[in-house]
Amino acid sequence: MTATISSPGSSTGPSTAASTAKLVGLYVLAVAIALALSAALIAVTGGPWRKVFTALIDGSVRNPGRWGDTLTEAAPLLIVALGAIITARAGLVNIGQEGQLAVGAATAAYVATNGSGPLVLIGALVAGFVGGALWAGIAALLRYWRKVPEVISTLLLVFVASQGTGYLLTRTFLLLDDDPNKPNRVQTSGQLDPDTRIGFIRIFGNEFPWSVVLAVVLTVAVALLMNRSIWGFRLTVLGRNARTAQRIGVPVVIAGASALALSGAFAGFAGAVMFAAGSANYRYTPGFANNIGWEGLLVALVARNRPLACIPVALVFGALRTGSGFLAATGVERSIVDVVRSLLVLALLVPPAVIAIQRRRVTPPPAPVSTDEPVVAVAR
Amino acid sequence: MAGAGAAALAPAVRLTDVTKRYGPVVACSGVDLELLPGEVHGILGENGAGKSTLMKILIGLVQPDDGAIALGGREVVIHDPQTAAQLGIGMVHQHLSLVEALTVWENVLLGDTSKFDRSTARRQVMETADHYGLAIDPDRCVGELSAGLRQRVELIKCLRRDPKILILDEPTSVLTPAESEQLFTTLRDVVATEQRAVALVSHKLAEILHATDNVTIMRQGRVVERCRTSEATASSLARAMVGREVLLRASAAALGATDLVDDLSDAGVSATTDVIAAPIVDTRPVVLRIDGARVVRDGVAVLDDLHLEVRAGEIVGVAGVEGNGQRELGDLLSSLVTLDGGCVTVNGVTARTGRAGSMAELGVGVIPEDRHDSGCVLDLSVAENLLLDRMESITRFGIVDRRAMRRRAIELMREFDIQASGPDAMFASLSGGNQQRVVLARELGQRPEVLVAAQPTRGLDVGAIEYMSNRLRAAAASGIAVLLVSTELEEILELSDRIVVLSRGRVIGELDRREATSERLGLLLGGVETDPNGAHV
Repeated sequence: MTATISSPGSSTGPSTAASTAKLVGLYVLAVAIALALSAALIAVTGGPWRKVFTALIDGSVRNPGRWGDTLTEAAPLLIVALGAIITARAGLVNIGQEGQLAVGAATAAYVATNGSGPLVLIGALVAGFVGGALWAGIAALLRYWRKVPEVISTLLLVFVASQGTGYLLTRTFLLLDDDPNKPNRVQTSGQLDPDTRIGFIRIFGNEFPWSVVLAVVLTVAVALLMNRSIWGFRLTVLGRNARTAQRIGVPVVIAGASALALSGAFAGFAGAVMFAAGSANYRYTPGFANNIGWEGLLVALVARNRPLACIPVALVFGALRTGSGFLAATGVERSIVDVVRSLLVLALLVPPAVIAIQRRRVTPPPAPVSTDEPVVAVAR
Repeated sequence: MAGAGAAALAPAVRLTDVTKRYGPVVACSGVDLELLPGEVHGILGENGAGKSTLMKILIGLVQPDDGAIALGGREVVIHDPQTAAQLGIGMVHQHLSLVEALTVWENVLLGDTSKFDRSTARRQVMETADHYGLAIDPDRCVGELSAGLRQRVELIKCLRRDPKILILDEPTSVLTPAESEQLFTTLRDVVATEQRAVALVSHKLAEILHATDNVTIMRQGRVVERCRTSEATASSLARAMVGREVLLRASAAALGATDLVDDLSDAGVSATTDVIAAPIVDTRPVVLRIDGARVVRDGVAVLDDLHLEVRAGEIVGVAGVEGNGQRELGDLLSSLVTLDGGCVTVNGVTARTGRAGSMAELGVGVIPEDRHDSGCVLDLSVAENLLLDRMESITRFGIVDRRAMRRRAIELMREFDIQASGPDAMFASLSGGNQQRVVLARELGQRPEVLVAAQPTRGLDVGAIEYMSNRLRAAAASGIAVLLVSTELEEILELSDRIVVLSRGRVIGELDRREATSERLGLLLGGVETDPNGAHV
């Protein structure tokens, strides 16, 4: 037979130089538009827009010690994003990282303030991992036992987590600091013992915790597992065609549930790392997660679920966090600062979306084989 | 009075020389058909005979390439279903076209372009329902109704528009016998008291005999016979439906296939047609045994006490009209369905049905009915798809050896003549025939004990069909137990040593290929059980 080879898929492959250039161009354009809009917005509200941008850069990298802070912020974002990628591979959507992170941080705090000895740090980190996994495990259980969509359950569990961990901070036998010489009446957990904190690396007047290195190592490990290991392969098959996965022996429920739990574990681990690296003065506090969970999700989205691409994206998001800390000093209204930051985040999300839409237009997914009359199927 | 009599005799609709082609395939070829007022006209034929296409032409869903349609003597062109509705043609579709989230009366009104208010509309719906004795609650949500009641809604929807011509496409495929009986009573009433013309499209002999006045039998797009139902018997209808030439052509193909099979023997497969021609070969061990399989979905037994055996080296063809349990049988052997009763054994080992990979572990390879559904991953590469189920064999310390994967893939691509830009090409970029070869290569590459091929040639071109047929023969010749599930009778007859016929989820008849007569096959396909002597019960 003389079958002609039609390969519309190969011409739009993601790795060609042309499409990379296009992607970079799109990023430049989108960020430029976002900056222009921000400048216009600040100018209209009577603010000094030049100063705002200077402050962003000063706050994130230029001023002494700031890039160390940026790295510190980026590490948990990166870890959360890795977890999001794992569920995306399995064809699931976990958007409850904010809650899983809070639960992970709270369990880490519990272990850290109740334990003692040299292994407390490791115990706390493991506890964070387990706490996040259990929290996401609730969503997994609901998904496979009662068919509750995990998108909804993970999201709603965020609010349960924030209320639940808040309650822990009201009882001394749970998490509330029982030190009678507490400086104020704010409800926080006890402080992590100075001997058991994550160590810091100091270079060029900047300092960042060891967990930054750990996050990068984790990223490489996840990239390897996802793209090269049999586990990653099976997870990919599950995510793209669950029935094929079932047929070749990937247990849909076990694999799916463990992917969801693992994703929660990463978020919980990120929470534990934040706690042990002193993001809130080595205490668990209300509002501890501070949007790291949501933004980590965005990191994965911008990186289009590729682990290694998460590293630069997490750095940019970290820089936006540290940079916007300096914006307040420019006298620009706080709500405007938030809008500026959101515009920049949005700008980073647009190019991957544009690419994805274009690709879908170029190669429409093949229509399923018609189960109608055979005649029609032949004719197609 | 004479004028009225003449008018009654004039056909309500007359199709003359209607032809419809889809590329090289002729769905309808020079079909003439007359529907008379006050009569139920049966249109009988197996899958793909052209019945549905013909009806789609009549209601304007499909435009004929040639031929004329006349309504009451006046020639018309039916551009679309709206035109058909204005001309008084209504159809109840085989796959119901109701909106589940809407109520009964809303569904009945759907598609109306005139203004209406709720209470009048509801009253009208109830009046129509009462008039025909089709009791229904107009405020129920269609999603809550049983299949039988849904069809009743379709029927009410159709009748409310007062059609002169009513078309029913396989109306009983979703009904229980009692519901079917009630439907036919209504039809009788509609025809006798209101002089409507009814076309009943069906493959079921019993209901054609029971419910129609005249019958037109179609085969491969042509009208092969028409007669008064009172003069027909189940046997005569069955013979006409299946046709002798199908059997003849199939046996010719089986004999003429020797040279094709020889080609494959060069590739190291010792294939002969002796297996097919050998006298009695029941000494071969039973490899696949399905015993009393039962699967219930939404209260309906989609597999019902199904018994089936396939021996090493034989091809067993599972024939039957679509929707009689074929899909569930395929799913069962793909570990996608858990049995509610009975068991499946492979070489004496009982399978844990529905457990991921359980069938594959026992050596059951499957070419699924819809390869995109459970046979591949569209956006993975050809190599990954070829080795989908045996990545373990090229994995060291949990890491897949990409080089080895590519090498193995290239070997398989060569052996199965898969045309692609390379092993890294996306599976979705391949043509249908090559996609099917990838699936085949993977399943055969595992050296399975059993190969299930469900509709293996659907949607393929002639060359690809021939290739697939030869591969299946060669697989059987090499000792694999092959189960061929197909709704295409020719394919079954051409390849199978033994044929079983599925109807409503159970095997209602089994015959050796050599004893397959068009009559016996036709009776079985038409849902009439027979004993081996040919007498039907």
